[in-house]
Amino acid sequence: MEGIKAHKDPKLPPPIEVAEGPEWVEALTLLDRDVAHTLLAAARTLYPHDGLPERVYRRVVLHFDRMAAHSPAAAQSFAEFVDRVDAAMPLPFRELSESYRVAVLKGMETSAAFRLVQRSTVRFLYDDVEVWQAFGYEGASVHLGGYATRGFNDLDWLPDPPAGI
Amino acid sequence: MTQYELDDAGVVVIIGSGAGGGTLAHELTRRGVDVVLLEAGKHLTAEDFVNDEWGGYEMLSWLDKRTASGDWRVARDHPATPSWSCQVVGGTTTHWSGCCYRLIADEMRARTVYGDIPGASLIDWPITLDELEPYYDLAEAKMGVTRTNGLPGLPANNNFKVMYAGASALGLHASTGRQAINPIPYDGRPATIQDGFTVTGDKVGSRWSTLNVEIPRALATGKLELRPQSRAVLIEHDQAGKASGVVYVDAAGTRHRQKARAVVLAGNCVESSRLLLHSASGLFPQGLANGHGNVGRYYLRHIIQTVWSVFDKPVNMHRGEIMTGVVNDFVRHDPARGFAGGYYVELNSMGLPTTAAFLDPGWWGRDFAGVIERYAHIAGMLLSGEDMPQAGNCITLTDELDAFGVPVANIHYDEHPNDLKMRSHGYKSMVAIHQAAGAKRSIEAPAYPASHNLGSNRMSARAEDGVLDGHGRAHEVPNLFIADGSAFATGGACNPTLTIVALAIRQADFMAGQMAAGAL
Repeated sequence: MEGIKAHKDPKLPPPIEVAEGPEWVEALTLLDRDVAHTLLAAARTLYPHDGLPERVYRRVVLHFDRMAAHSPAAAQSFAEFVDRVDAAMPLPFRELSESYRVAVLKGMETSAAFRLVQRSTVRFLYDDVEVWQAFGYEGASVHLGGYATRGFNDLDWLPDPPAGI
Repeated sequence: MTQYELDDAGVVVIIGSGAGGGTLAHELTRRGVDVVLLEAGKHLTAEDFVNDEWGGYEMLSWLDKRTASGDWRVARDHPATPSWSCQVVGGTTTHWSGCCYRLIADEMRARTVYGDIPGASLIDWPITLDELEPYYDLAEAKMGVTRTNGLPGLPANNNFKVMYAGASALGLHASTGRQAINPIPYDGRPATIQDGFTVTGDKVGSRWSTLNVEIPRALATGKLELRPQSRAVLIEHDQAGKASGVVYVDAAGTRHRQKARAVVLAGNCVESSRLLLHSASGLFPQGLANGHGNVGRYYLRHIIQTVWSVFDKPVNMHRGEIMTGVVNDFVRHDPARGFAGGYYVELNSMGLPTTAAFLDPGWWGRDFAGVIERYAHIAGMLLSGEDMPQAGNCITLTDELDAFGVPVANIHYDEHPNDLKMRSHGYKSMVAIHQAAGAKRSIEAPAYPASHNLGSNRMSARAEDGVLDGHGRAHEVPNLFIADGSAFATGGACNPTLTIVALAIRQADFMAGQMAAGAL
């Protein structure tokens, strides 16, 4: 979004680096590349923002990879998820058109594997500073002096309330 | 820092350093009482905190497993974290957003005023508002509550301008309300810089917490020993049935037994009830102070819900203090509305990460994407209202043990018909306010993990109706006290912290008086 600048707290680690080309999968530590591509298609189907670049969804999948490396139970759930979505139609999930991908996901909404993928996509996609910038969330502020002089009361399309209200 | 011996039976042991425990520690030590304060979490400082919603959540939260049952939606949305509080020195006061409203007289006489509501187990508080008011005055002064003690209100922010415009158009009354956040320097703490991150620890220190006010002052008396990373696992008693000490596990995993003159639980509803239930013995076979089976029962979590609305033009709700707005028109009990009790409509903002997570957990697809892409144009409000105490809504122990050998707690909660009627009424009010300000779409968002945890060890005039007397002392154990929200006889509608602090000051007066008289 123009006119704003999104900031992550400077104490936090920088975003995961992700390559722009197909070699991005080389950063995976645990997930199989086919699994990663299917999870990428799932993340984009669950939260389809046409204006966002591919790399923000790739970063989500690289977070899934870290989760899987950290937790065998999570790794198992990601594998189950991919098995299910790939078995649901005569084509692999990531080759399906959007409406079929949506139908496959709707058919498994109550499963634990779906829940993990859906919740984890929300957790990481909307915590990405590039997504913050795109949607107008400016984020960390103390290191910039807060918002006291940076627009905390700059809304001008409604009348100002009476002073001291 | 002063240090006490483990076998020093002259100390008061307080478990939990949040609004209740941290305040009580200060109020007792400044009256000359020796106190050991056990806190399960670490002692963090403003330097440690981050301006980041998930970073702060992971740093501060009590993330030990719990289970949930009942028809509340939280059991589906957040099955392993149905209740939420902090595990850190300062407790949940490191997170709170500062709203400070007082209970009203009708709320403290709920059974008398609301009548006999089928399925509900209402009681009147064993103390009156008149008895509590002097302590509210003291609490507001120490916390620096806006619009008290000569302090101005906090200024209107963008999100409030929306609330005010909508409420005014409907003839309702909105103000920026009362918060324990400094609009100007007060009591050695700076004015807010409107950073919008009180919920992740408050790096600035403009908001009152026990971490930045009560605990340092208690330490300065020389009467407090603070033991962080000390997880209480059992309360012990002597042959006469008086509490005699607390078993806890330190950061290295070593078990200790701290003897005590009196024991105070202040670990938030779930932990305080869990510890009492787990501390069963031959003399107290159902759990400590649980002869009537009321420990863990009548659990309350307030009617909490949010409305998020999308506007044509930018709001930028994330800029500034997050809850500086209130509509007071629905606070009083009004039978004409068709339900008992009242509610506050309060301003609420969240950053993009948690707005996305809590807008409607489980919602996905193009419709969700279209709403969240408009984040900068979203305004928000939160409802806090009174829920009905019910005998079946309770904290119990499961068969699963945690890493310390203590059973994992289950929280069961079914909504009462009164709760549902209030929810519906509240959503209509909130949506109407935003629509009157020009909202193009309003989302009725559900409750998130309960943070107003109340009532599960409630005060009662009669021992058979609760667990504690009007001073927060167990009916069955004369030197066992509770200083957290679980002591509330009923929930009232307002955010509970101010009342927890006022009750803790009153409790300190009582305990110090009893000690001086040789009765405790």
